[in-house]
Amino acid sequence: MTWTIAVGVKQVPDADEVGIDPDTGRLDRASAPAVMNGPDRHALEAALTIRDQVGGEVIAMTMGPPNATSVLEEAVAMGSDDAVLISDRAFAGSDTWPTSLTLARAAEALEADVVVCGEETTDSSTGQVPPGIAAHNGWAQLTYAEAVDARPEEGRLAARRDVEGGYELVAAELPVVVAVAFGEFDPRPAPLHRKIYGENDFEPTVWDAEALGIEDEVGLDVSPTSVGRMETVDPVERKGEVVDEVDGLLEPIAEVRA
Amino acid sequence: MSDDAVDVGEYEDVWVFVEEHGGEVMPVSWELLAEAAKLTETTGDDLVALAIGEGLETVADEALARGADRVLVADDPVFEPYRADPYGEQFRAMVEERKPSIVLIGGTHTGRDFAGRVAVPAHAGLTADVTELDVDDEGILQARRPAFGGDVLATILCEEHRPQMATIRPGVFEAAAPDPERVADGDVVSVDVVVDEADAISEVLEREVGDTADITEAERIVAVGRGVEGDLEPARRLAEALDAELAASRAAVDEGWVDGARQVGQTGKTVRPDLYVAVGISGAIQHVEGMNKSGTVVAINDDPNAPIFEHADYGIVGDLFEVCPALADRLEGEPIQEVTG
Ligand SMILES: Cc1cc2nc3c(=O)[nH]c(=O)nc-3n(C[C@H](O)[C@H](O)[C@H](O)COP(=O)(O)OP(=O)(O)OC[C@H]3O[C@@H](n4cnc5c(N)ncnc54)[C@H](O)[C@@H]3O)c2cc1C
Repeated sequence: MTWTIAVGVKQVPDADEVGIDPDTGRLDRASAPAVMNGPDRHALEAALTIRDQVGGEVIAMTMGPPNATSVLEEAVAMGSDDAVLISDRAFAGSDTWPTSLTLARAAEALEADVVVCGEETTDSSTGQVPPGIAAHNGWAQLTYAEAVDARPEEGRLAARRDVEGGYELVAAELPVVVAVAFGEFDPRPAPLHRKIYGENDFEPTVWDAEALGIEDEVGLDVSPTSVGRMETVDPVERKGEVVDEVDGLLEPIAEVRA
Repeated sequence: MSDDAVDVGEYEDVWVFVEEHGGEVMPVSWELLAEAAKLTETTGDDLVALAIGEGLETVADEALARGADRVLVADDPVFEPYRADPYGEQFRAMVEERKPSIVLIGGTHTGRDFAGRVAVPAHAGLTADVTELDVDDEGILQARRPAFGGDVLATILCEEHRPQMATIRPGVFEAAAPDPERVADGDVVSVDVVVDEADAISEVLEREVGDTADITEAERIVAVGRGVEGDLEPARRLAEALDAELAASRAAVDEGWVDGARQVGQTGKTVRPDLYVAVGISGAIQHVEGMNKSGTVVAINDDPNAPIFEHADYGIVGDLFEVCPALADRLEGEPIQEVTG
């Protein structure tokens, strides 16, 4: 038996390319180029690792605007067999509740045995979507996964989980949602021929909310949370003094210890 | 207004999840209890602690001593060691039966793991990584979290759904000292265990927890980054000379040089020591978020353009393998050779 492995990927503003707005002196995210969420590359690598272990298919899925297709092309270049774009205006304003519902329904539609996600996204950093997918479907979950061990003979996937101050090895029944610890699973480079295929020939399957039967269960209206005030935080003032010799540090250290 | 919106008036009390593993309570639990006490002062609600595990008598008493009016206890071997599915199911059943207005959970790996298994089926609002909490006159939780790399503090609201849930970043709030006299006045309520081992969909095969150091209370910290290249000796010696705790960037933790309990930053701990010495740390925004409330910040880095210098009061541009021993020598009162950056 081989497994169907779905990978959730998201397009985010490139955190490394976020410039400073010359008028306000603050970070300007709107003009940053859109890229694949860094932790999702590690999720892709984990998915490909599982495929290497059991055989099967890796299918990347993203929920986003039509131009999010570029992250699917990247996923295909890295080695995904196929990819799905889940796109609909009805998704606008979704918080993590409908977002994880959407991905949960997509995973069901793909008949996924395993769903692999990044630990969190760099633009909203909640980490709530992977457990949310598992919860919507009543599936098992393995978050903060540092290593994976497919056990098709047991119908289970085992993972080494980082538990802050240690680790644990947990085996979970399929279907299972895995969230990969960001520092593990160094992504493999995409071979040139796959890059060319991804960019030129590959077309993702496209699903809207209706295709997943959730047109009344997404968007702002079903999102329990909303964003209220946004306050800019004044950066912490630091002296920013560079000293030439360690002796220059002795007085400030002595002051702190006094 | 959505179909699933609830009668918010039916929901009352503020719940705090007390996270324990094998009898050891994660410090963030007590931080939350102290902070939640401020909320109940405003709302007039009861402050309820909730513990899930096995053999929880001592933990329950400590929760009372630390400010809870009542402790709900789900005590059963099925909960030890922790697993997402039994915890989530038990917690959810308690929430649906007892209808709390606010539920606070520590933003540890465990808290972030199971919180969604409660919030999703309950269709509750769940705010992640909260660093400031408040409640308005109508009992609406004002859960504030850093957004856009800490440039902005966003207030997340949950107006029409209940409970209002949030995971809170460890180390941000101060824990209250226990008052043993409170124990006698509080109630410990044993709740029905709704989970059966036969229904579990996961199994813990091995579990090893070693270093559970609490760096959040440290007065002085020496933190190492990828720049130390696996050699902790210079930083250790400096930490000893300063009587400081050792901490680390995520890169140093991911490399396996330092244990995860000592990680500072967005996905680690928030620390606020009087002195923070960053050794071979570049100063990525996710790191800075966890240490920028520190008193005096010192950076040691051989790259003059490293962002950490913008977040430091004093910087030394130089090789950490020379600067750390030289500084330790001076702190230990020994004369040194000239070391410049
Ligand atoms: C979702 C997500 C969450 C994250 N959460 C966290 C978090 O909680 N905490 C965290 O720290 N990071 C976090 N990160 C990672 C963060 O983005 C950085 O990658 C990380 O902080 C870098 O660690 P570092 O500074 O130790 O390593 P590097 O960035 O590699 O920096 C090493 C530094 O050492 C200096 N150096 C090298 N050799 C020497 C020498 N001999 N002497 C002196 N200096 C030297 C270099 O100049 C460099 O500045 C997160 C990232 C993501 C995507």
